[in-house]
Amino acid sequence: MLAIQLAYKNLVNAGLRTWLNVGVLSFVFIVVLFYKGFIEGWNQDAVLQNIDWEYANGQVHHPTYEPADFLSIQDAHGQLVDAKDQGLIPVLVRQASIYPDGRLMNVTVKGIEAHQNVVKIPTPSFTSDNKLQAIIGKRMAKAAQLKIGDDVLMRWRDKNGTFDAGNITIVDIFDTHVPTVDQGQIWMPIDVIWEITGLENEATYYLVGKQNKNPSTGNWKFHSQDDLLEEIRALIAIESFSGSIIYGILLSIALLAIFDTQVLSIFRRQKEIGTCIALGMTRQQVMVLFTVEGAMYSIFAMIMGSIVGIPFLLYVSGIGIHIGGISSEMGFTMGETIYPVFNIYLLFTTAFLIVGSATVVSFLPAQKISKMNPVLAIKGKQQ
Amino acid sequence: MIKFLFKGILRDKSRSVLPITIVILGVTLTIVLSGYLRGVMGDMTDQSARFQTGHVKIVTKAYEEAMDQMPIDLAILGVDSLLESLQKQYPNLQWVKRTNFGGLIDVPDANGETKGQGPAAGMALELFDPTSNEIERMNILSSIVVGKIPSKPGEAIIGQEFADKLKVKIGDEITYVGSTMNGSMSFKSFIVSGTIRFGSSALDKGAIIIDISDAQEMLDLEDGSTEILGFLNDGVYVHEKAEALKNDFNSKADTNDEFAPTMLTLKEQNNLGSYLDMVDVYSGLFVGIFVFAMSLVLWNTGLLGGLRRYQEFGIRLALGESKGRIYRNIIMEAVLIGTIGSVIGTTIGVGITLYWQQTGIDISAYLQNSTMMMPSVLRSKFTAQLLYIGFIPGLFAMVIGNMLSGIGIYKRETAILFKELEV
Amino acid sequence: MKYLLITILSLSFAFQNYPDADGILKKVDANMSSDTNITESSMVIHGKRNSRTVVSRSYGEGYKKSFSEYLAPAREMGTKMLKLEDRLWIYSPSTDRTIQLSGHMLRQSVMGSDLSYEDMMEDRKLTEMYNSKVIGEEAIDGRKVWVVELISKVEDATYHSRKAWIDQERYVPLKEELFAKSGQLLKRVTLSEVKKVEGRWYPTKMNYKDVLKDGEGTDFIIDKIEFNAEIPEHIFTKASLKK
Repeated sequence: MLAIQLAYKNLVNAGLRTWLNVGVLSFVFIVVLFYKGFIEGWNQDAVLQNIDWEYANGQVHHPTYEPADFLSIQDAHGQLVDAKDQGLIPVLVRQASIYPDGRLMNVTVKGIEAHQNVVKIPTPSFTSDNKLQAIIGKRMAKAAQLKIGDDVLMRWRDKNGTFDAGNITIVDIFDTHVPTVDQGQIWMPIDVIWEITGLENEATYYLVGKQNKNPSTGNWKFHSQDDLLEEIRALIAIESFSGSIIYGILLSIALLAIFDTQVLSIFRRQKEIGTCIALGMTRQQVMVLFTVEGAMYSIFAMIMGSIVGIPFLLYVSGIGIHIGGISSEMGFTMGETIYPVFNIYLLFTTAFLIVGSATVVSFLPAQKISKMNPVLAIKGKQQ
Repeated sequence: MIKFLFKGILRDKSRSVLPITIVILGVTLTIVLSGYLRGVMGDMTDQSARFQTGHVKIVTKAYEEAMDQMPIDLAILGVDSLLESLQKQYPNLQWVKRTNFGGLIDVPDANGETKGQGPAAGMALELFDPTSNEIERMNILSSIVVGKIPSKPGEAIIGQEFADKLKVKIGDEITYVGSTMNGSMSFKSFIVSGTIRFGSSALDKGAIIIDISDAQEMLDLEDGSTEILGFLNDGVYVHEKAEALKNDFNSKADTNDEFAPTMLTLKEQNNLGSYLDMVDVYSGLFVGIFVFAMSLVLWNTGLLGGLRRYQEFGIRLALGESKGRIYRNIIMEAVLIGTIGSVIGTTIGVGITLYWQQTGIDISAYLQNSTMMMPSVLRSKFTAQLLYIGFIPGLFAMVIGNMLSGIGIYKRETAILFKELEV
Repeated sequence: MKYLLITILSLSFAFQNYPDADGILKKVDANMSSDTNITESSMVIHGKRNSRTVVSRSYGEGYKKSFSEYLAPAREMGTKMLKLEDRLWIYSPSTDRTIQLSGHMLRQSVMGSDLSYEDMMEDRKLTEMYNSKVIGEEAIDGRKVWVVELISKVEDATYHSRKAWIDQERYVPLKEELFAKSGQLLKRVTLSEVKKVEGRWYPTKMNYKDVLKDGEGTDFIIDKIEFNAEIPEHIFTKASLKK
């Protein structure tokens, strides 16, 4: 307790340099918090958006369906017998061509139930009449230059390979962070797709509607939400790792400052050290005093960082950080604006990291004290 | 004088070792961080420039309109004379031919009949011309899993996953089946010289990489290429330069010919504009703040160095040296120490940056076996800026730190300084 | 009432006036098909930038077997294609490889033309696949034609319906249109330069046009055709691809 009081006094009396050290450290604190909050915000958004728009509570794929391999689409369709009882929502994937302005564009057509509510594709926009109607994402709308209400000629094949063609009408355009449900995709009512292809009641994959860890799928492949999210999580893990290198370097600079200050103060205050020992403190106690002093920088930094940083971070998490529409080209889920997410856990782990490491670097130079000769120290003699 | 101080620095370890070490550490960290920030934050842009967009790209107008379909029939013809004039007109860029093509890769059995097939996403580069720097630019060497880069016509590298799927080994023959720019059927057999993993599942699943000369022959693209990419010589995208270049080039183009070449900047492609702006702001901010923090540390060091030697100064004052002379001495010493530290620190920092740029930090183990769209190797990026950025904290902060501590000499009485000599 | 009766009478009269479509198609078959044929043809492909002519010699036996060898241009020379029922192999001399095309690849266009491999591989007679009916009478280039409508009776016809304009005198088609199930026109074939070959009338020029795409389509010109020639059986084997 005495050590803490003394350390506090010493620091406060040291003036400017204390505050500069504290300033650097509190800045690091804010940066680490900010970066982690940013990654967490992206993570939560990406996970949420992917679940909301594409993955639902998991998917059950036809045995031969490979989402990455367009050649697999032709034959990957069938019926899972008890799909309906298990709350599985069928999606039928077909290939087709559209001809906006006489240009050929290959597209993936996905049939989905109009009254589904497991993904956010705005299927309620499908009108009840059975005409060829489609919903597309804004990226697709831009690529094909289509607006709501536009008609475009589409050519497809039915289950026997017979050509069919007709004008589809765009009834809605949605805005999503998930490019994989948008680019090159056309969403249509599944009963229309069933009718025009003759693949009545068939699906390429099913969306798992309600939480169901183990749907019975026969030879169909069940991909849980976690499996599907693995890729985006790994991507975020990279970003997170990459960020930790940045703030690792930043933190090491701040720690270097503390280390440096410690070396300096132990050097300058040899007489004080000698006096303390002469007054009856053990060398260990003096060592603790100096270590506490160093660690206290980080405590001050946490307090200062919180006072300055928390309102700032809360403000940022409110307005978000605009990063532009890169995700559509890169093919992964990232909103145009990321809203950082901060929580107590993040705050405490970051504070612990900084206080912990500051204590360690304060201790290292203080070790020297234990080897000091108190007589020489009190004389102020260099050793 | 300097020689004398230099001797002092070399002989008095307490004067040199700690401050120089800290300067070196600080400068190294500053440079490593800047290089790393540039590398990682610019990675997406850089990756896109290297793999897809170039700093500028030239295509025909007709190709531009249907770019996502990769229509080789709309390629630039007469590409060599165009390249020649580009090199003459814009010598501060490197111009290379690239052609993307689609098709099928067919693997034969012992009788030369189809054993397996897969859709291919092909890319033809100037692999055989070492001056094109394409191998380096695409990081092909470090992305190779087994085997080597094609060194003669008829060799190809394919994606590792693609090779696994088709059960192809190094030295096996594969046949490209596709169509030429005229739509004719095209067949060409290649010997697999290596397999590659870029860390991007889209590329790794169906990639085939061949030399442009093979592609020209195979696709009937005589003296043609679908794209010409231009890279600014220092490797850094500067939008103003690219924009000026584009305006200049496009103002000379024939507006009526749909096959006239037209230039696009990196920023116009792939929606990269706003991201690029953001990277600039953030990395500038980071580096600025870092330099500030670093200055603080070195200032401490400077103070420490000065304070340590009050006794010495006391003696020197007693011996009759003027305060100003001692002060100047301190500053000169700081300059020397700062310079030595900064030079060494810059050397080490640039070394680490170059090393990280070359080999990168492989974090694929950390990612286990997921299929990634992003590179699983983090790389730094060396820019000319790194050569001086370390000097700002290294030299100036050191000198300022010493200047501040040196003021103490003026403040204190000679007697007090001398008294500190007391034993 | 009287008018109505006349209308009905004249309508039925009109129907009776049209000959039986099957009969017409049989006569067309007599002109167009043979047990075997050997054809030398040129395909003119109009690209966006230039046109190319691909010359080939083909051997056909019924609808199920065919073998083609490309003769020109130099790039294509020696390329051979063998079709046996629903399988297709292509041999490329430059690589000495025999490649089997299947599934998705069959839907690609042949040599950049407006024809797909699938179009070329249709191996059933029209009368086997379609129900036909004469629906009218028109004139094309001054020649009177029957307009025959064909609607598929099998499920797996690539084109759900077709319309053919058949020369009333020579019994050769002068125009054909291919439709999607919805009735959307997809392709148009224009046949011309009808010549007498071995006692049959035969259109020696055909233009295929994918109407959804911009462009001029593909011309298919018969330079020489031989009907019911003796074709040795070994031609239709994979071994002949490498010869």
